[in-house]
Amino acid sequence: MATTTATITINSTDLLTDELSLSTVATLTQTGTATGIEHTTGLSRKKVTSTAKATASGQVTLYTADDFAAIPYLYIKNTATTAGHKIYVYDDTTSGDPIQFQLDAGDWGFIPMHGDKTYKAYSPGGNDPVVEWMVMGKDQ
Amino acid sequence: MATTTASLSLTSTDLFDDSLSISTSNALNKAGTTIGLDQTTGLNKIYLTATTNVDVITVPGATKDGKKSHVYISNLSMDETEYMVVSVGDKVIGRLYAGDWMWMPWNQQAQHLSDIEIAPSVATGMWVEYMIIHEGVVLTSSADS
Repeated sequence: MATTTATITINSTDLLTDELSLSTVATLTQTGTATGIEHTTGLSRKKVTSTAKATASGQVTLYTADDFAAIPYLYIKNTATTAGHKIYVYDDTTSGDPIQFQLDAGDWGFIPMHGDKTYKAYSPGGNDPVVEWMVMGKDQ
Repeated sequence: MATTTASLSLTSTDLFDDSLSISTSNALNKAGTTIGLDQTTGLNKIYLTATTNVDVITVPGATKDGKKSHVYISNLSMDETEYMVVSVGDKVIGRLYAGDWMWMPWNQQAQHLSDIEIAPSVATGMWVEYMIIHEGVVLTSSADS
């Protein structure tokens, strides 16, 4: 088993009157145990050329449903540097392909996923932003 | 405007033969701008004693659709078998076991479609911490009766 940690730090000196300085560490473990995760897709980058979900080609598959045992951890980042060059992530398994979240330029997310849905990305603005992502957990 | 940054450090010395060391950071700005987000729920800490799905924030309409928000949620449980399911509307997006946290951008779509919901796995009590840094939310109307 491996020891993998994810730390988030949120800082601001002027969002509130009091200084905001939040730091939380998670050790990434296999579901319901203290055993560290063992598998990963590795860190990937790909240009997102599709401007729509489902109908057009060029969506980027970030994760395929049930590829990992629950729960896989998703790290994702929109590497674009121009505000408004968004990447939309949607659930390709559920009827209607609901959008899960939108990443503007520079935004990142870290999500312990349920693991039973396929996630894909597209970019409605046609700016071809590059998405960076990695899934970690236990392959099955 | 405020200057707020969210940073991630993802490290491991033995997940790969090569060491893993990802570090990223971004300034939290209003949609399509470089103006910092200036509103927040503050850091909330709650104790949930039922497995019922509850809203930590409700979206009453689509008036803030396209505005920028970020959500932080952390499961403070110490029992590695306990988890909570996080949903956006009725769509499950995350499952946070003890000690896990999540961070994601959040868009407020149509009524209740983007409510952020949490359902603990146990009714024996679970501490949860959450914060939303945003560009505006719509508060529901009061009903003093």
